[in-house]
Amino acid sequence: MPGDHRRIRGPEESQPPQLYAADEEEAPAARDPTRLRPVYARAGLLSQAKGSAYLEAGGTKVLCAVSGPRQAEGGERGGGPAGAGGEAPAALRGRLLCDFRRAPFAGRRRRAPPGGGEERELALALQEALEPAVRLGRYPRAQLEVSALLLEDGGSALAAALTAAALALADAGVEMYDLVVGCGLSRAPGPAPTWLLDPTRLEEERAAAGLTVALMPVLNQVAGLLGSGEGGPTESWAEAVRLGLEGCQRLYPVLQQCLVRAARRRDAAAPL
Amino acid sequence: REDGGRVQNCGTFGVLQEIFGSISTADGSALVKLGNTTVICGIKAEFAAPPTDAPDKGYVVPNVDLPPLCSSRFRSGPPGEEAQVASQFIADVIENSQIIQKEDLCISPGKLAWVLYCDLICLDYDGNILDACTFALLAALKNVQLPEVTISEETALAEVNLKKKSFLNIRTHPVATSFAVFDDTLLIVDPTGEEEHLATGTLTVVMDEEGKLCCLHKPGGSGLTGAKLQDCMSRAVTRHKEVKKLMDEVVKSMKPK
Repeated sequence: MPGDHRRIRGPEESQPPQLYAADEEEAPAARDPTRLRPVYARAGLLSQAKGSAYLEAGGTKVLCAVSGPRQAEGGERGGGPAGAGGEAPAALRGRLLCDFRRAPFAGRRRRAPPGGGEERELALALQEALEPAVRLGRYPRAQLEVSALLLEDGGSALAAALTAAALALADAGVEMYDLVVGCGLSRAPGPAPTWLLDPTRLEEERAAAGLTVALMPVLNQVAGLLGSGEGGPTESWAEAVRLGLEGCQRLYPVLQQCLVRAARRRDAAAPL
Repeated sequence: REDGGRVQNCGTFGVLQEIFGSISTADGSALVKLGNTTVICGIKAEFAAPPTDAPDKGYVVPNVDLPPLCSSRFRSGPPGEEAQVASQFIADVIENSQIIQKEDLCISPGKLAWVLYCDLICLDYDGNILDACTFALLAALKNVQLPEVTISEETALAEVNLKKKSFLNIRTHPVATSFAVFDDTLLIVDPTGEEEHLATGTLTVVMDEEGKLCCLHKPGGSGLTGAKLQDCMSRAVTRHKEVKKLMDEVVKSMKPK
């Protein structure tokens, strides 16, 4: 970067060799639109973070860590009406600070570290989706920091990050109403194509529209929704949301298993 | 044993695990776990024009990132002091040890050369980040496969053949060994986060194959006698042998793709 003297300088600009490559990329193979890639989830693997989770779905690898609760920055705020169940008044509720980072080697093209607008948008989406699930009223004047790191982007990165973040929060012992499960969808361009659940990177790149849904499975409430592109008529979008919610429900048992295993591991290590 | 020095994990300098080739979008990658400290290195290779003052050389650009997820003392934002120091250290190691000849990276003098962006991200910070970064970098470089590039005569453009890939020519294998110094007397090898925090000084020795010293990093802190320094260097030589053995084993167990 031109003005950045905090990092080692490289050349002014560089191009990836793929631009000059002779052969064309293959088109994504046709597949069952409702197939979900097998997910590998593991919680409690970082020693320095309060809670952590690693999620791998196809080629997408996300690592998420939670730290806190910590004293919130910002001045004293006046009290408001107290919430039900002895929770702190609305103005004193805890905050969730989310940070989404993409590793420079995560995508096809190297992205220099300050990611810019996209990372901030995804961080905000993470925060909006996780807030309904966490009992922030139980952490007055405190902040919980959630950092997600995308190690490899194989499609539906935001969905994987959402799921990993929820697992990490649960692993940290933060009080939550429910887990949040994320699912990605995409729709290929064309006259009347179907929505594809859990797209791979190739499918996402060629897509005309993309959607990420976040669901709280037990409460059956949608925690977050982020979509963009040319999707066609509204019924098509409604269909996509329904498909996404089904996908989230299917993922839930895997995540439950993962948390149970992590708790068992922690139990086994604790009495030493 | 050194006088008062302590070796972790009964004889080995901390348990070292390496995993090669984990990330498929990167041209080369490695994950290194040194006790709890975990560092992942991903290398992406791109084209660039060679520097004007050295038209037959390529670039190797290291970047160490210490994100908030590795430890609660780092904040998100531009790289802090520690990250910058680590990046500069890795750059020095690359330069001094000549791990890759920059001339090897040149495709066409004055026109086209490879840039290797080495991004090291710490996933878990429990002390001894410099050792872990050096291992990760070395392991990832051994893993990098660059496609064949020819400059066609008619169009003077590069033609890349993604099907034919070849490994990099790694000339030396620098291995770093870090020590934590306590009040001029006590020396601990491979310090954990807690030990580093309590230490009055640190020292990192980077050794090469033939026992050649590549780099010595001692950022202030309490002093060390000459004899102690010699001790550290011989320790570093032993460590180098162990790490090299481990790396060779892992490379052998991986079939070439």
